[in-house]
Amino acid sequence: MAERPQVWIEGVALEISWADPRRSLTDLIFDTVRAAVDDAGRGFDNIDSVVLAAHDLVDGRSLSSMVTAPAAGAYLRDEIRYGDDSAAALVAGITRIESGESERTIVAAWGRAAEHDVDAVSRALFDPVLLSGLGLDELQIAAMNAQRWRQDGGDLSHVAAAQARRAANARANSRALAEGGRRSAPSWPLEVDHLPLWADVVSAVVISGRPSGVKIRGLGQSSEPYWPGDRELARAPALAAAAGLALAEADVAVSEIDMFELDGLTLYDEAVAFEAVGLAPHGQGMQVLAADPRCNPSGGSAAGYCAPAMGLARVVEAALQLRGTAGAIQQKQPKLAMASGSSLVAQQTQTVIVMEAV
Amino acid sequence: MSVMENPSDLITIQGQWKFDYTYFAGEHASRFFRELRENRKIMGTRCPKCERLLVPARGFCDACMERTTDWEEVGPEGTLETFTIITAAFPGLPKPPIIMAYVTLDGADTALINLVHGLDLTNIDAAAAKLNSLPRVRVEFVDDPQGRITDFSFRLI
Amino acid sequence: MSGAAIIGVGQTGYRRSFPDKSSRELIWDAAEEALEDSGLGIDDIDVILAGVAPDALAGENSVERSGMMGRGKPFMRINTGGVTGSSAVLAANTFVLSGRAKAVLVVGLERMGQATSSQQVFNTIFDPVYEKDFPLTTITMAALRASMLMRLYGYTERHWAQIASRSLRNALKNPLAHMHKDVSPEDVLNSPMLAWPIHRFEACPMSEGACALVVTNADLAKGRSAAWIQGAASTTDSYAMGDRIRRPGANLVDLLSLRMSAERAYRQAGITDPRREVRVVELYSAFSSAEAMAYPALGFCAPENGPRFVEAQFEDESLPRFNPSGGPQGANPVSVTAMVRIAECALQVRDMAGERQVADVERAVATGQGGATQFSTVCVLGRRPVQ
Repeated sequence: MAERPQVWIEGVALEISWADPRRSLTDLIFDTVRAAVDDAGRGFDNIDSVVLAAHDLVDGRSLSSMVTAPAAGAYLRDEIRYGDDSAAALVAGITRIESGESERTIVAAWGRAAEHDVDAVSRALFDPVLLSGLGLDELQIAAMNAQRWRQDGGDLSHVAAAQARRAANARANSRALAEGGRRSAPSWPLEVDHLPLWADVVSAVVISGRPSGVKIRGLGQSSEPYWPGDRELARAPALAAAAGLALAEADVAVSEIDMFELDGLTLYDEAVAFEAVGLAPHGQGMQVLAADPRCNPSGGSAAGYCAPAMGLARVVEAALQLRGTAGAIQQKQPKLAMASGSSLVAQQTQTVIVMEAV
Repeated sequence: MSVMENPSDLITIQGQWKFDYTYFAGEHASRFFRELRENRKIMGTRCPKCERLLVPARGFCDACMERTTDWEEVGPEGTLETFTIITAAFPGLPKPPIIMAYVTLDGADTALINLVHGLDLTNIDAAAAKLNSLPRVRVEFVDDPQGRITDFSFRLI
Repeated sequence: MSGAAIIGVGQTGYRRSFPDKSSRELIWDAAEEALEDSGLGIDDIDVILAGVAPDALAGENSVERSGMMGRGKPFMRINTGGVTGSSAVLAANTFVLSGRAKAVLVVGLERMGQATSSQQVFNTIFDPVYEKDFPLTTITMAALRASMLMRLYGYTERHWAQIASRSLRNALKNPLAHMHKDVSPEDVLNSPMLAWPIHRFEACPMSEGACALVVTNADLAKGRSAAWIQGAASTTDSYAMGDRIRRPGANLVDLLSLRMSAERAYRQAGITDPRREVRVVELYSAFSSAEAMAYPALGFCAPENGPRFVEAQFEDESLPRFNPSGGPQGANPVSVTAMVRIAECALQVRDMAGERQVADVERAVATGQGGATQFSTVCVLGRRPVQ
């Protein structure tokens, strides 16, 4: 079989804002997509495809890509919209380059927490026949996961330090939301600071087969069963599987990765994520979050969060680090980076991307 | 093979699908609506690259992926490009029969949708024939504009 | 040998509602049938793509997740409105052509039987800033176009009625279709007017159902009954219909996005004379008048000869057959309708279409339309891979 073509990230952009009355959703999308294209430095020449991640219930429009896709450059191009996390959309975009169908592809994602009721939409995720009568939502599942992690012997001694480091990173990150945003009410054992900061997020990249600063080295995807009761709580096995696949394709071990931007809804999800990819043994994830500078230097979900834009946001943060343009939170010359994105329900599907600085 | 012997034991569960949203109109739409309300003007914005005047006013041209620049007024007359006569009632819509049409106002490069008045609808086929002849229309504002797209409609001239 | 092929098809059939089935069960039924047809098991599947359009129609968020199958597989949901079903198949094609998947299971589900009024839902697809106050619906959108077609090219209400009648009569031979009514053109013209000039029988029913396809690489298709994906393309147009009205060379009824997709797909497939090289066309036209916009875009005739082309379909046996399945007038499970077009073309090419089988289908074309006919897909299927 012929070698699969190499795919590169040519341009990136990320904006986290809150309730900006000067801009409609399409204005926000336009601004960030334009920024990513400008960052790639080649205008719209040969951009022939657009892969989007957006969710109708988040956007409050029943076919949201109808109105929003044009703002992302879809006019007379081959455009598709995934109703899933944006890291998965990036994978789909990568296959377009690899198959030879596209020369240059825009991948973009957004979610505007200031426009919708995040908790109500989250509750609607659950099966109306058997589950939704319970008023379950994503954060409650996250809380149950956190409790299970604690029960399994999770080391609590670093929780405060992990949260403190997360908050400090978010403050230092120029792309994080400095003012505004909203947090839901926490369910025990979560505390309000452990929760994601709901924000208005737009992320975008431009990819192609032409060599550029950041190379895609490997990717992996996996999923967990539908019923919460069938799933392995506090373990993120889908993330473990996806990371294994991405590392195998990249032909590197996790110890060789210089920086990580892993998606997690809450502080505990982020800790479990680091365990799942193999950076810490089960129960010790808080320790790496508290002390390892490689881990989520962006501040993770404390920097601003809205599904389904986050997987791609993690990719953008990782790419900026690899290029040396991450600003105040820049880590020292990372060569290899890992980013992940997770989907509803309760991070049921996971996508991992391994990238290299060239 | 059936799991339930008696089909009348099959249950249904009532539910409602209702979510609240707050849509940010943004400064372009906000100004467009303010011009309707305060000045009874319909405004478009120009793309610096393809030079189309886009109506209603918007912040960017999606064909060129460029931000728009100048604001210009369009109308007060225009050409009715295509239409439909709504004769069946649907939930949430005004009582039929009503005419809805796309009109390209003088000066604009894009057409705008709104309701149309000034035509006797007793004979639908005759009305349709008239509407399908690219007739001219004039913008008509309500007495008390609110800053909504329904502040104006079109009247056949 | 490279290329991708459809080697398995599953359809639950389409009707107003399935009161005895959960969403998960519907997806499973279609998937099981497709897998069995393909000769593969769920463990042979590398990626699952699910196409589900407006959640509001089902009243369930992420309804497709209830159909996740197998263990730990990559699973992604696609939502592109009316084209969802075909976008999902095209994405599967891309995954296979990239080499990242040897076999992809594509599933689609429509659950609109759980909605009390679909038009209210469809009204929420429009721009909430500038258009929420208007009676913009898929019906009025189609009506706006039908009027323009009549003015520009001389179509009459009778043409729309003839197309609708033809589709519904074809559906009589399709046990999977929702509608089984022998409707004449007169019956169509006598049915209530929805929005001038569209009569009720020209519109499509509200259908539920699930469809599944197995798409594989050439190695897995070897020795199996396969419908080869010879060409596949998708194009998105501007959202604002008003922007397309005076656009030079590509006005509101010119269906530029379909024309561009057809050109790319035909080029991939090596089609130069579609009128002679295509035997069956499964057209996504939610309203019979919408079909008229597709003929010139697909290269079957010049726009001004459209009315004559409609009449010729009833006289000239050598012309391609349109919607032998009954098309969307026969069944319209929104999320799935575009996938059903591809599924039906696959069955035709593989000689598995039962009573509705057309003779000698070397090549078939399936189209998809979504949004305010903003998104268009074209998929060319054939008995052989492209060399």
